[in-house]
Amino acid sequence: MAPMTGAPRRLRVGVAGASLPGEEPLDIDLLHDPAAIRRIDAGTLVVTGSDGVSRTARVGLPWSAASGTREVEVVVDGWRFELTIEDAARAELRRRATRAPDAAATSGAADIRAIIPGRVAAVRVTAGDVVEAGQTLLVVEAMKMQNELRAIRAGTVERVAVGEGQTIDAGDLLVVVR
Amino acid sequence: MTAVAPASLRKDGEGKRPFERVLVANRGEIAVRIIRACRELGIDTVAVYSDADVDAAHVRLADESVRLGPAPAVESYLRADAIVDAARQTGAEAIHPGYGFLAERAGFARAVEDAGIVFVGPSSATIAALGDKLGARRAAAAAGVAVVPGTLEPAAVDRPDALASVIDDAVGIGFPLLVKAAAGGGGRGMRRVTTPEELPAALAAGSAEATASFGDGTVYLEREILPARHIEVQLIGDRQGTVIALGERDCSLQRRHQKLVEESPAPGLDASERRALHASAITAAVAAHLENAATAEFLFDSNRRFWFLEVNTRLQVEHGVTELVADVDLVREQLFVAAGWPLSERIREAAEVAAEPSRHAIQVRLSAEDPARDFTPAPGWIGRWEMPGGPGVRVDTAVGPGARVPPDYDPLIAKILVVDGDRASAIRRLQRALAETVVTGIQTTLPFHLAIAADSGFGEGGLSIDWVDEQWAELMRPGRAVALDAARIAAIETAAASAVDGPPREPLVAQFASGWARAARSEGRDRWHR
Repeated sequence: MAPMTGAPRRLRVGVAGASLPGEEPLDIDLLHDPAAIRRIDAGTLVVTGSDGVSRTARVGLPWSAASGTREVEVVVDGWRFELTIEDAARAELRRRATRAPDAAATSGAADIRAIIPGRVAAVRVTAGDVVEAGQTLLVVEAMKMQNELRAIRAGTVERVAVGEGQTIDAGDLLVVVR
Repeated sequence: MTAVAPASLRKDGEGKRPFERVLVANRGEIAVRIIRACRELGIDTVAVYSDADVDAAHVRLADESVRLGPAPAVESYLRADAIVDAARQTGAEAIHPGYGFLAERAGFARAVEDAGIVFVGPSSATIAALGDKLGARRAAAAAGVAVVPGTLEPAAVDRPDALASVIDDAVGIGFPLLVKAAAGGGGRGMRRVTTPEELPAALAAGSAEATASFGDGTVYLEREILPARHIEVQLIGDRQGTVIALGERDCSLQRRHQKLVEESPAPGLDASERRALHASAITAAVAAHLENAATAEFLFDSNRRFWFLEVNTRLQVEHGVTELVADVDLVREQLFVAAGWPLSERIREAAEVAAEPSRHAIQVRLSAEDPARDFTPAPGWIGRWEMPGGPGVRVDTAVGPGARVPPDYDPLIAKILVVDGDRASAIRRLQRALAETVVTGIQTTLPFHLAIAADSGFGEGGLSIDWVDEQWAELMRPGRAVALDAARIAAIETAAASAVDGPPREPLVAQFASGWARAARSEGRDRWHR
């Protein structure tokens, strides 16, 4: 991440990984209101929100992620977030530079990756299969639950990277649909 | 309430040990809980473990331990032969199965019995008889217990000529109804049917899922009772023929048939309703010749009628709330009766007053699951771990700071229990205890429990079993939104503090990271993140 010199700065704070609807990146002024934050220790902050309620935030160790953003784990009221922090102006430039054409949703290869660690319980497709959007590609078992992984759009299975019974970690490549 | 009460043969305890050595065929918090009971009785313990649990708490706490195999349960904790061998090798006289894994497999109980080892639980014959839900329904109905309306014989699945009679049965029961697996549990093999036209497909799908899950595709029909509460009765019997009911638990807060919160007593019942319920449960248990601990499950409908569902022949995950209300140790009693001793005076006295309880206990199941994403599993490495304490709080867990929650097993990581004089005080105590609870590194169900403890509907008592599925997705939104707002501000504050002179450096990180946290986190990132 580039040095943060000068003040005040706008930072873009996003939710890493698969954020839920309504959890898009938000730009916040760095020096917004020091009175709303009380540091208890280096890993614990008390944040008073606009609703007047003080909430304890457990903050992890920030680490540098790819492309100059910083990531940090924050837990508030039991909710755990992995937040990305980036200079807002820089983030905007990067977003424009890397924004893919809207056609990306209907063409190009789609990598299906594991979202949780587990075991491949069943493989329902093989390379060369033509699949419909929503069709089950494989079944992953984790913690007694079976989760069906489905094609996000129609296409042809280019590659199946795992076999039945194989143990997988979050992020492992499972299937490529073109 | 007590079915038969022969003269007591001895006083409690008297320093005698029911066994010299017991093998605990389980992992996680329940293995630790059983080892604790054994230690208090002076019994040596043998733990078994998979390669995922080499450093697990139950292995560290036991006197001896035996490796079963690789991480997957089918290659370790479900290997009946290896567990019986481990008991033989170590000279264990008894095996306690805990819950889950092999606890309700009649074949395992029989293998233990055949090896001349005591199975701490009901006999293999009782497990087999009650494990067949249809058989249990028939036995309970024959004993005069009101069972959930439905069929008592298997539904014909593969015979088109018999379909008309199944549809006749279904119309007689009324819609919506449920197709359920005779060997079922946890909602597997279950299908909801709203019209006769949907029935053939539901029968086929339910039967196929039951075959895949249990190796038995037998299904039957049951009326869907909604709204309903899930209320269950703790039972325990001894070889002398005494069967007692130790009060009831309300486990209505469920998500897709997985219990999330349990309490005892069930709110809003009067003493005569409790007595009738306990008597029904004992009737069902006596019909099945119950020895040791079991639980009879009922649905309680909006007309205040109880309908028998099934009997689980094991110690339940939620047994602790009963222990807190009755002030007894159920695992200790299980060991007593497994050794052929009669139930203790203490537990019999507790059963006598179980219809008029003077305490209220609540348990929440803290699981490594994401309540914002339909409770999907969230295994990984725990960072911070702060559990509540103080008066009236009990925490049953087997993990701690820096521990790994493996993806191979049940996501339950801690049971937080509270007890107080009445329900309102117990809820306030629960709110206080949950506010003290901190887990980082993995997402847990803590936000769900915080919301429930503060919910006015829960405070009034009597929530229906479909409440979580219907309400939670909407209920969680505002709380998560304000938490995210606070988290974003905490994040930029942290970024500001660490970016005065440029990119973050190690010394900054080190100033608030204790050794274990850093080790766990770096390892955790390598293994689990994205």
